[in-house]
Amino acid sequence: MAEIYKLIHPVKYFNDYISRNVRPDGRQFHEHRNIKLNVNSIKASEASGVVKCGNTTVICGIKLELATPKAEEPDSGFLVTNVELLPLCSSKFRPGPPSDYAQVVSNIVTDIVMNSECINLKDLCIVYDKLAWVLYCDIVCIDNDGGLIDACVMALISSLKTLTLPNVTYDPETEDIKVDITKRSPLKVNGLPVATSFAIFPFFEKSILLTDPSAYEEDMCGGNGANLIVCWNKGFLCGTQKFGGSTLSMEDEKQALKIAKQRTKLVEKLIETCIDNESK
Amino acid sequence: MAGPLLSSTEKIFILHGVQNDYRSDGRSNIDYRPMELETDVVSHASGSARLRLANTDILVGVKTEIDVPKPDNPGKGKIEFFVDCSANATPEFEGRGGEQLANSISNMMQRAYHTSQAFNLKQLCIFEGKQCWKLYVDILILECGGNLCDAVSLAVKAALFNTRLPFVKAALMDGGNVDLQLSDDPYDSKQLDIGCAPLLVTLCKIGDKCVVDPSAEEESCSVISLVVGVTGNPKFYCTEDTTNILNVECKCSTIGMNGPGSVAPKTLKDAINQGIIAAKCLDEALGKALLRERQETIVMKKHSYGFLK
Amino acid sequence: MPLDFRRFNGPEDSVSYTRFTQDFLKSYDELHNELINKSNLRKDGRALDEARSMFARTDMISQAKGSAYVELKKTKVVCSVFDPREIPHQNEFSQLGQIFCEVKFAPFSCSRQRRPAAPDAEDKSLSVALRQALEPAVCRHLFPNYQIDVFVYIIEHDGACLAAAINAAGLALADAAVPMYDIITASSIAIIGDKMFVDPTEEEEHVAMISPDSENVNHGIITMSMLSELKQVSDFIQIGSMDTDCVIKAMDILEKECAKLIPNIQQVLVMNVVQNIEQQKKLEEEAKEREAALNAKLEEWKTLLNAG
Repeated sequence: MAEIYKLIHPVKYFNDYISRNVRPDGRQFHEHRNIKLNVNSIKASEASGVVKCGNTTVICGIKLELATPKAEEPDSGFLVTNVELLPLCSSKFRPGPPSDYAQVVSNIVTDIVMNSECINLKDLCIVYDKLAWVLYCDIVCIDNDGGLIDACVMALISSLKTLTLPNVTYDPETEDIKVDITKRSPLKVNGLPVATSFAIFPFFEKSILLTDPSAYEEDMCGGNGANLIVCWNKGFLCGTQKFGGSTLSMEDEKQALKIAKQRTKLVEKLIETCIDNESK
Repeated sequence: MAGPLLSSTEKIFILHGVQNDYRSDGRSNIDYRPMELETDVVSHASGSARLRLANTDILVGVKTEIDVPKPDNPGKGKIEFFVDCSANATPEFEGRGGEQLANSISNMMQRAYHTSQAFNLKQLCIFEGKQCWKLYVDILILECGGNLCDAVSLAVKAALFNTRLPFVKAALMDGGNVDLQLSDDPYDSKQLDIGCAPLLVTLCKIGDKCVVDPSAEEESCSVISLVVGVTGNPKFYCTEDTTNILNVECKCSTIGMNGPGSVAPKTLKDAINQGIIAAKCLDEALGKALLRERQETIVMKKHSYGFLK
Repeated sequence: MPLDFRRFNGPEDSVSYTRFTQDFLKSYDELHNELINKSNLRKDGRALDEARSMFARTDMISQAKGSAYVELKKTKVVCSVFDPREIPHQNEFSQLGQIFCEVKFAPFSCSRQRRPAAPDAEDKSLSVALRQALEPAVCRHLFPNYQIDVFVYIIEHDGACLAAAINAAGLALADAAVPMYDIITASSIAIIGDKMFVDPTEEEEHVAMISPDSENVNHGIITMSMLSELKQVSDFIQIGSMDTDCVIKAMDILEKECAKLIPNIQQVLVMNVVQNIEQQKKLEEEAKEREAALNAKLEEWKTLLNAG
């Protein structure tokens, strides 16, 4: 019954729930979904993280390569992050080159990581102007049920935190490179950016803020992912972005920042406990 | 492809014929239709061949280039297959229609040539770890009349037989660079050792028997075909005394299936055996034809036919 | 190669660091000898004819009609199947439904190199092989002019990934309630000389693909998928070089291996059905409760109306 109602009158169905102060999956407006995290489960990559926020599943894997640094920045390495929205994660995505939306997500995640300056690219340089690490961080979405960017950032950061770089010796005369995989040193990660998504639903005269929206809720609020993304990094705000959806009042914005801050603390604790357990 | 319209009685007639190893055109189950083969038809390519089998027309050109070997295979050259389904081969190839077929044929060829027992890539090495030959095998399908895999593999083997690589002297210079010296004489070249190169045999399942080289009518009676790649025997490609050349056993270099149907394991086993026998006959015939043609070229008696000359 | 402007690209000359490690250029014999220890066991402690235990589950992806996840120790494959949709870009009526398959490796799935983001030749050939394997299993005459999309993603590749992909796709199709003739299972074998490695790891596959210098040694990989109840082979792929006896021997082993997987798959499917029925019951009960509440309200109003 309910399923048919949802199909025929998706907006009305959603409105009915909202008017009762509850969301279709039984959550309160500001309640986020359960988060599951697992690090280093993919042994073929150097470091990896699997994140599940409710149904949303995201996997991040890091591959290491060596290259000569750019001429403009001879003392920096490379951090290449890409988000791939696979056709298997939702019927909205088709095979082929990345869609506009996938490029937008890719850009936001890269921006968040770059702006938070949690990785110093200079740490990735091995020999000035000659040799540097390239970190290929590929984030793939296996199941897209909303709140994609939160999960992507979390997967990326937790994999970066577990990454260790093997020892490299470079002979400047013969340009010979030797890599010793038995000796490894961890990568320095400063700070811990955590993103939180919100959807803004226009309900009569006011807007309602929905924390950690599901794919269905995102669709109801104008589509194309979450409407508001707030990113905190160790107690500092490192970015907010708003995409479409309804207007947002000042109080709501303040509340969103507060909710995001609380959630950030939780996520930080989660990542730290998970990595601690892994290293034991 | 809109096949010929056959009534169920006609289909049963074909099926019974196959069962008794006597097909409607008088062939046995492992007989091919007559083919036309010609080598050295494209003057700009290092080696080329054109093959016509019934209505299928294939042109193969081999181009050579000098390349750097892969780091994990420093002593080996490279070979690459590229299939182009010309739009006038069949109306279905218009636009991107032939792409899938072209991909599957080039995949099949790549897989068949993968093992060094089929084609030794070491003969393409110029200087270990630094320079090697890369062969580009371009396969052009001019007309499509069925049985493409077999025709392509025959034409490729003939074109490789025809391929001549110029002699190159390589010397290591200071700083790890390689100096290449090419002889001025264009006839100063070597031939490739392609005796073992694989031939693909497509076996079309009709009833529970399989036939090679099916006609259009036979094709419409079958839902699945099996492609078996079988390595050749170098004995057939040598003019000299063949006694001191090792008689190499034919081996499967690749097996694949095409079509929406499935086969029973027993049929599959029989088909593989049958494919090997068919490939042996085919290999011997190809070797004879190629040697005869080479002989004719040497004594300047070669008659060119076909449309390219 | 043309630059992909839709993704972030790394520097062009970057190479995997494994090229500079000591293990990179091991000779064939070294690699070969490493595979089996003195007591005739493989690196992970299995006997030669012992397959890895398969972990499988359905209903992985909330957004897909049907989905499955298959794990063979380190090999991890996820598959999703979507609702039938009209065949795009086709004018003619097609009597039989079509199956569209796409297999993709994750960029981080292989330990040897980083996979390109755009599909490469191996992705494409696996897609063709998967389609070939699935077509005979599905009742395609039941959805004429429609196509079913099957997407397979290989999260981690440690050998036998095509076999895992076929198993996962079979489960996902069943989960999506696509009518099929039989349960489809697949298994893979690597042949090195006179040894046959059932359900090979990536390392074993790698050695099996190299042709040894000594002539006339059998080597290669065979993957076979079967409809076990109907005793039909739906796909058979062999690469390498081997004589007929060897192929036929391997085929017999693979036939048995495919049959061994059946109870495992059946169990997963039965679990799936049980769960679905429970879910359905729960939903129905909830619907009943709601209806009762509505009826009560209606009665209340009716009495109110009657009263006044």
